[in-house]
Amino acid sequence: MGNILVLAEHRQGALRDISYEMMALAPKLAEDMGCEVTVLLVGSKMDDLAKKMAAYGSKVLVVDDPLFENFNAEKYQKVLSALIDDLKPAVVMTGQTAQGVDFIPALAVEKNLPLVAEAISLEYANGTLKATRQLYSGKVNATVAFKPADTYLVTIREGVVEPPDAAADGAVEKVDSPLKDDLTYRSFVEYIEAEVGDVDITQSDTLVAVGRGLKEDKNLSIIEELAQAIRADIAGSRAATDAGWIPHDRQVGTSGKSVKPKLYIAMGISGAFQHVAGMKGAKTVVAINKDPEAPIFTVADYAIVDDMFKVVPKLIEKLKELKG
Amino acid sequence: MSTESQTFTEKYDLLGCIQCGRCTGGCPVTVRADLNVRRFVYDAYYEEKLDELARLAEIWDCTACHTCAVRCPKGLKPLEVLLGLRTMIIESGKVEPTVRDALQSVLLEGNPWEKSRAARSDWMEGLDVKIAEPGVPVENLFFVCCTIAYDPRVKSIARNIVGLLNKSGVDYAFLDESETCCGSEVFTLGEEGLFEMLVEDNTELLNEYTAKRLVCLSPHCFTTYKTRYPDLKAEVIHYTQLLVELLEEGKLNWKGDLQKTIVYHDPCYLGKQSNVYDEPRTLLKNIPGVKMVEFERSRERSLCCEGGGGKMWVESESKKERLAETRIKDAKALEADIVAVACPFCVLTLEDAMKSLGYEEEMRVAEIMELLGEFVEA
Amino acid sequence: MKMFVCIKYVPDTSEAEVKVNPDGVTVDSSRFSFDINDADNYAVEESVLIKEAKEGDVTVVSIGPKKSDVMIRMAMAKGCDQAVRIEDDRIAGHDPLMVAKALAAAIKGQEFDLVLTGCMASDDGHMSTGVALAEELGVNHASMVKKVEVLDGKVRAHRELEGGLLEVVELELPAVLTIQTGINEPRYAPIRGIRQAQKKELKVVSLDDLGVDPASVGSDASMVVLEELYIPEVESSAEFIEGEAEEKAEKLASILVKGGLV
Repeated sequence: MGNILVLAEHRQGALRDISYEMMALAPKLAEDMGCEVTVLLVGSKMDDLAKKMAAYGSKVLVVDDPLFENFNAEKYQKVLSALIDDLKPAVVMTGQTAQGVDFIPALAVEKNLPLVAEAISLEYANGTLKATRQLYSGKVNATVAFKPADTYLVTIREGVVEPPDAAADGAVEKVDSPLKDDLTYRSFVEYIEAEVGDVDITQSDTLVAVGRGLKEDKNLSIIEELAQAIRADIAGSRAATDAGWIPHDRQVGTSGKSVKPKLYIAMGISGAFQHVAGMKGAKTVVAINKDPEAPIFTVADYAIVDDMFKVVPKLIEKLKELKG
Repeated sequence: MSTESQTFTEKYDLLGCIQCGRCTGGCPVTVRADLNVRRFVYDAYYEEKLDELARLAEIWDCTACHTCAVRCPKGLKPLEVLLGLRTMIIESGKVEPTVRDALQSVLLEGNPWEKSRAARSDWMEGLDVKIAEPGVPVENLFFVCCTIAYDPRVKSIARNIVGLLNKSGVDYAFLDESETCCGSEVFTLGEEGLFEMLVEDNTELLNEYTAKRLVCLSPHCFTTYKTRYPDLKAEVIHYTQLLVELLEEGKLNWKGDLQKTIVYHDPCYLGKQSNVYDEPRTLLKNIPGVKMVEFERSRERSLCCEGGGGKMWVESESKKERLAETRIKDAKALEADIVAVACPFCVLTLEDAMKSLGYEEEMRVAEIMELLGEFVEA
Repeated sequence: MKMFVCIKYVPDTSEAEVKVNPDGVTVDSSRFSFDINDADNYAVEESVLIKEAKEGDVTVVSIGPKKSDVMIRMAMAKGCDQAVRIEDDRIAGHDPLMVAKALAAAIKGQEFDLVLTGCMASDDGHMSTGVALAEELGVNHASMVKKVEVLDGKVRAHRELEGGLLEVVELELPAVLTIQTGINEPRYAPIRGIRQAQKKELKVVSLDDLGVDPASVGSDASMVVLEELYIPEVESSAEFIEGEAEEKAEKLASILVKGGLV
């Protein structure tokens, strides 16, 4: 049986959390499957990152070439395609991230390989690899089994496991780029940083975050009042920023910011995992939502099932009173 | 209005206007917003100006309270000029997302609250409700209203009346999930096409039930069915009218005692638009212990709460005091304990205003049916 | 610009309780409301905006039941020109690779510059169909696109990455773009527009009509099996604060203050 090939993700010179997180999942799966983990890094000037990945005890293959200075889905697909032919891995694992989703499905079609996207856990038993993934914004779990194939493709949801502690150093091995010439049909132009507003919510100690439940602009005033009362900054879910209620640079979630406040009050936020992924670093989470089934409650420390507008005015009043 | 055979001038009878200004003079919205309805009637005569007029933000300030129509000496409906301009915007598709989502929800789910049609009769849970069957004659067919059916704050209007009806032995029935928005707010938001579709579909649906009367719980549905559904066979009444009949027949048995001062707020759609002023007062007066007071601006002159005219989905740009707040302050000045209303929108706007003013400890906003639920045996 | 826009009719489960049917692999959708998938709605709007700016023609492609026609008519009311609805229950809907193959069959053989689709379906959330479709069609792609600039023979796409960072890429046309929500503000489809759109062509086709061997996109062809759906156990350690709304607010305030959290 081939190895589990973990494609580590990096951007702008740094490894991304998902790369470490996969090192918590892959070794366990390799043990069950009776194979090894091989980490793959594709990029340019990868020495440092290779060393960091090698610290998890597995062999690290590095395709280190100026061609890969920036992520390019087409180039990644070509590299993976060639390496699958060469290495015949049992599993190719990467993140369900803006990188992963941009080429893994195309790779699956090209190589005619099975794909399960966004697994939250994997299990190998009796010769069958099974993945658990979620539907309907986390309200339903699905068990998906791979039919027997030479290579299984799977992407892993961000933030489902803690990164493991570093183990013994693994070997680092450079491989020549299977791609020799630059591509003409897709090219990287530039990165544009998100606009920075007056508040950097990643640095906030206390955040009041609002979601779709805010319903409209004018309702923001009561939230502002609450934020003022507890010296919090205001953040929002994607729904809140899409609606223009909250500036985009205050969006919490996978496509926004990851925040680590001491207190995070989520109001009218259902808690789609994209949002939860951005606030899982919060120390204490308070969730107020009308829907008792809202997934936000699964990550909350204190939960109130009710209309936020019925709760907040009294909350402000009482907070002011208690704090003198 | 290129899709219409009528010109804008013909459709809204603009030439009938004598520019007396009684419309703008009585318009409650002028206190808050820069809306001059007389001016719109004047300017809309120039077809080439219509696009420009339609883009003015104040066309969305109108609450469709109909004060202008009530006051017009020529019997015109100046507000409908504003609604016609809204139609131009609606048909361009470039509307506020809130309006877009509400209208789309009416089309797809039969209600403007983005709720599933399947959940429409969830308010009946645990109650013994008679459900209408097509072709089976019924004296009083009830129409609940989207807001009452879905908004937990006002659900009790429907729930309470069921108990009362069962007790009184009235021949009644409610519709199941097939009940579909009457289109009151669809009409005032200017979505003419959707409103025409609702009139067609609802007329067909409601006529299947061979009901003698259609009893509406909301004045918005009441006035809309009464005035804009020409082919509806049933007589349309408001529930307060039915309850006064029951009261007169001695079928309402009072219990308890409400030693409170009540001021009744005339909903625009019940009062000005449909001339139902006395029945709500009669019911309130009969609650044991109640003392009634009147707003200075009451009956035909009642102040609008700003809940109608699609305003549930359009926020005014004005930062001035909401009319609902003015109303609550007036009630406070009258030392009223309870502001009674007979409209779900009025409950929502007035209660909101009461809370923003911080009066919730000493004052209560209640729909008549909420009070009757407490003081009539069911 | 000749464009296709692929859209999906999905249930709104944000407020509804989800129940798994006794078959264990489907959910009871009888109480759900259905509408166009959120991201696809933005894709429709983007296609119409491009059409308005550059002239062109947009064909809607969807796999779904007859009741989804209203969604398609709405897209046509907004400016899409014609539509193809694939109605065939032999497609393995649980596998985006099979879905992509069926969608590709409705597009292949026709000239196009752009295919737009939402980057994610709100029901099954694979984020895979659009990128797989590009490969099936043998064209360029970019996923999670938050801004589109059509250039001469090329398209510049701003991809939304984690942390709000945008990755700008240039693709030669033709290309598939998967559209992220928030890229634009979808317009309203007025009923008169929907009625006028009744005149536009909506072709309903089966796999046979598309010349697709049903076995090539069915459960047998799919290399993954949906074994079981279940409601996850809520791993909540949350303390639920009970009472009337105001009591809850008061209790929460005490917890926050006494716990030194504020």
